[in-house]
Amino acid sequence: MLLAVLITNSEGNILVERFNGVPGEERLHWRSFLVKLGADNLKGVKNEELCVASHKSVYIVYTVLGHVNIYLVGKDEYDELALSEAIFVVTSAIKDVCGKPPTERLFLDKYGRICLCLDEIVWKGLLENTDKDRIKRLVRLKPPTEF
Amino acid sequence: MAQFVKKDDDRDEEEYSPFLGIEKGSVLQEARVFNDPQLDSRRCSQVITKLLYLLNQGETFTKVEATEVFFAVTKLFQSKDIGLRRMVYLIIKELSPSSDEVIIVTSSLMKDMNSKTDVYRANAIRVLCRITDGTLLTQIERYLKQAIVDKNPVVASAALVSGIHLLQTNPEIVKRWSNEVQEAVQSRAALVQFHALALLHQIRQNDRLAVSKLVTSLTRGTVRSPLAQCLLIRYTSQVIRESSMNNQSGDRPFYDYLEGCLRHKAEMVIFEAARAITELNGVTSRELTPAITVLQLFLSSSKPVLRFAAVRTLNKVAMTHPMAVTNCNIDMESLISDQNRSIATLAITTLLKTGNESGVDRLMKQITNFMSDIADEFKIVVVDAIRSLCLKFPLKYRSLMNFLSNILREEGGFEYKKAIVDSIVILIRDIPDAKESGLLHLCEFIEDCEFTYLSTQILHFLGVEGPKTSDPSKYIRYIYNRVILENATVRASAVSTLAKFGAMVDSLKPRIFILLRRCLYDNDDEVRDRATLYLNTLGGDGSVVETDKDVKDFLFGSLDIPLVNLETSLKNYEPTEEQFDISSVPKEVKSQPLAEKKSAGKKPTALGAPPAAPTSTVDAYEKLLSSIPEFSTFGQLFKSSAPVELTEAETEYAVNVVKHIFDKHVVFQYNCTNTIPEQLLENVIVVVDASEAEEFAEVATKPLKALPYDTPGQTFVAFEKQEGVLAVGRFSNELKFIVKEVDPSTGEAEEDGVEDEYQLEDSEIVAADYMLKVGVSNFRNAWESLGPDFERIDEYGLGPRESLSEAVNAVINLLGMQPCEGTEVVAANSRSHSCLLSGVYIGNVKVLVRLSFGVDSSKEVAMKLAVRSEDESVSDAIHEIVAN
Repeated sequence: MLLAVLITNSEGNILVERFNGVPGEERLHWRSFLVKLGADNLKGVKNEELCVASHKSVYIVYTVLGHVNIYLVGKDEYDELALSEAIFVVTSAIKDVCGKPPTERLFLDKYGRICLCLDEIVWKGLLENTDKDRIKRLVRLKPPTEF
Repeated sequence: MAQFVKKDDDRDEEEYSPFLGIEKGSVLQEARVFNDPQLDSRRCSQVITKLLYLLNQGETFTKVEATEVFFAVTKLFQSKDIGLRRMVYLIIKELSPSSDEVIIVTSSLMKDMNSKTDVYRANAIRVLCRITDGTLLTQIERYLKQAIVDKNPVVASAALVSGIHLLQTNPEIVKRWSNEVQEAVQSRAALVQFHALALLHQIRQNDRLAVSKLVTSLTRGTVRSPLAQCLLIRYTSQVIRESSMNNQSGDRPFYDYLEGCLRHKAEMVIFEAARAITELNGVTSRELTPAITVLQLFLSSSKPVLRFAAVRTLNKVAMTHPMAVTNCNIDMESLISDQNRSIATLAITTLLKTGNESGVDRLMKQITNFMSDIADEFKIVVVDAIRSLCLKFPLKYRSLMNFLSNILREEGGFEYKKAIVDSIVILIRDIPDAKESGLLHLCEFIEDCEFTYLSTQILHFLGVEGPKTSDPSKYIRYIYNRVILENATVRASAVSTLAKFGAMVDSLKPRIFILLRRCLYDNDDEVRDRATLYLNTLGGDGSVVETDKDVKDFLFGSLDIPLVNLETSLKNYEPTEEQFDISSVPKEVKSQPLAEKKSAGKKPTALGAPPAAPTSTVDAYEKLLSSIPEFSTFGQLFKSSAPVELTEAETEYAVNVVKHIFDKHVVFQYNCTNTIPEQLLENVIVVVDASEAEEFAEVATKPLKALPYDTPGQTFVAFEKQEGVLAVGRFSNELKFIVKEVDPSTGEAEEDGVEDEYQLEDSEIVAADYMLKVGVSNFRNAWESLGPDFERIDEYGLGPRESLSEAVNAVINLLGMQPCEGTEVVAANSRSHSCLLSGVYIGNVKVLVRLSFGVDSSKEVAMKLAVRSEDESVSDAIHEIVAN
């Protein structure tokens, strides 16, 4: 299960937060944990360079893209490698929507479109689409080109 | 929450957010545009984006708000704008409307689901499956099945992923789709294959054979998606785990497949296969080698995720096969300086596991440099690893103990310091040579320790171990310094520790007394009280005399009661005329959540009290029963049964019963647990109806005054019966109590309660309850020595039975005796069997039984029963049990 997708600005303010299968009372804990993890480790990290950690039986892969930080949390089959695959899809979709690694402003300007992309990529904790071109078409309700 | 939620608005002009000053109320107002007759698609999309932003920030809508927005959104289905339609799908999913509201969109969605536009279909499927319930699902099931095999991968994936989610709520329906899913597994589209495989496995996960077939066919075929390949590897390891270890040729099934995956082009697959191999049961070094080789390559990968995955796996392998990992040590050492501290810590701890004795010193040097720049949580992991290393190479204790004492002096938080102290304590316990130096390290630590908890724990430990050393006097200075310098809690502990030295080391007693007398003027009550107590009980004038054993037990012996229970009882105790009675404290330990139990089991106990010597449960029961005045006249307890559950698992109240058998009485002890935090039960009794147990007469009941949440308590009911009569019967039980509501925020119960009752399962007294399972070491000798005087032999037909073994077990359980010499095991397919039993019958009469069984072709079982005992009537009684 992909337990969480969290996107924050560089100060740690939440921009997008999607939890799956995480009880309400644990979400705050996860949020602060992730934000702290980012604050401790993401300084000086290059765009899309992945950081990784595990906490209890859960894996976390996170990175920087422009002025936003992206965190993915998974367990079981969504281990560090599956998460790195998923985060790659997320970052490329965001870059695609924004045209470049986004500033916070750009990210918020494209917020609706980004939400649609995330909806195509992760659905209730399962990875659904991984191809950025297909995702690009799907958010515009265009059928995929190849099949 | 507020800390992270909304964005601050004091940012630069150009950075200002499009959602600046966004408020739920105004967005809900704006949502009224959805109702306009002339829809402005762009505006509507913007409003939906704002709603999404609010929801993604953790904002919640009330039921009324959500309903209002939902109904407004449904109007947007009229718009032909594609971008808006896509947003509508998303917002409906996010709003997750309740089942009575769903009806309004189902027809629109059903229309979309049959649309010619594939992506409409895919999205409609996802939305419908998100909001649907069982009844609607049966209506759309046909379309979903078609969608699964749709040629458009987007539609197929949408249906398959929906299936995975629906399997949780409507498993019977989804299980009917397995043919279609099976077809989808063969799809040429990589992701469809991945989703189909996941769903198919979930549908069949309880059918081992089906999973095995699935794995067999797929491992031979082609799997396109690396993600699906990873799943397949996982399922394959599951099949390997469940199948018998080796097939006839001695090879492990599917090993070749796993090994083949090590050469796959996707790193994800290679890693998954390598990990699967390392986790095989009883993996051999030949099997391990190729997996370790690829993991070793990953160690020097430029991708941190791969390095992390590899070092994490190797770390695990090192626990069971340290030798296999030693080849990677050089790569591992270079990871100590890895930027990612998780990787560095894993590398260090792996090296600690794989290193040999000669390399310990060099390794410690490297670690010392490393320790200064990692966080406490990683340091704790390293400390744990060092402790294990020290236990592995006890001769190296000196350098490892020095390392621990050095880091103990450095800066660090409580958890870290506690981990170090715990490790030192364990080393002191397990390595006798390390004791004196370890104790001195601890003494030095408490000279400058900022944590009261650790100081008191160390003082307690010093009190236990210090007096047993060659020169106990050298610790006194450190302990007495605490009395002078520390806070009241630590001072009180120090007083107790001093007293222990006084009690255990007679030569020190006079000097300890001088110190204790000084404590009589302490400004804290507890410290003074302790000093007074010890001075008065340890032996008057403080001359060199041996301390009485009873006094030692009284002062320093274990309480014999779980401290948690004592604490709860004391909290519940209200000062009245009646004194607090320590015997009323329940001795049963509160059940821990599973997770806690596991972790407690793994960690060796350190500073906590040393594990108490196991007292037999019968002793504990006997003590408990004799402390209850109503039962104190019943005489010697003959037998206490194992607890029998009277409630299903996970019900509101958990009750089990223990049957205590006396010569003329039977006492039912009902162990009750209240699992509802919002309730306090009072005056708890079990009303027992003994109409189906005529030979029993109820004589006493002991109610339970209060049963707070999660604190077990007991209530008792006693029956009288005639001595020497094998009385059996069935008792129906009903729990009666007064229930009071508890305010969860304050924990206080309301004054008024309501009477209530709760039906429990029946309990039974059977013949076996009058028999103790007591084995004999040599049955033949015992049989001969009892002699044939009171031997009774008879034959019985047991009728048609399932098997001979079942018949044997039935008789053993009926008599409740101990099978001897392994005769309870019946060889497969045998036609006859002999079984030897021994036991002690109520009244302490020794009984031995010889059983001979025979079975004919129609499964009719016949039995010859020979009994010898010390009493004629008992031999007859055994026959009576069987005859009835």
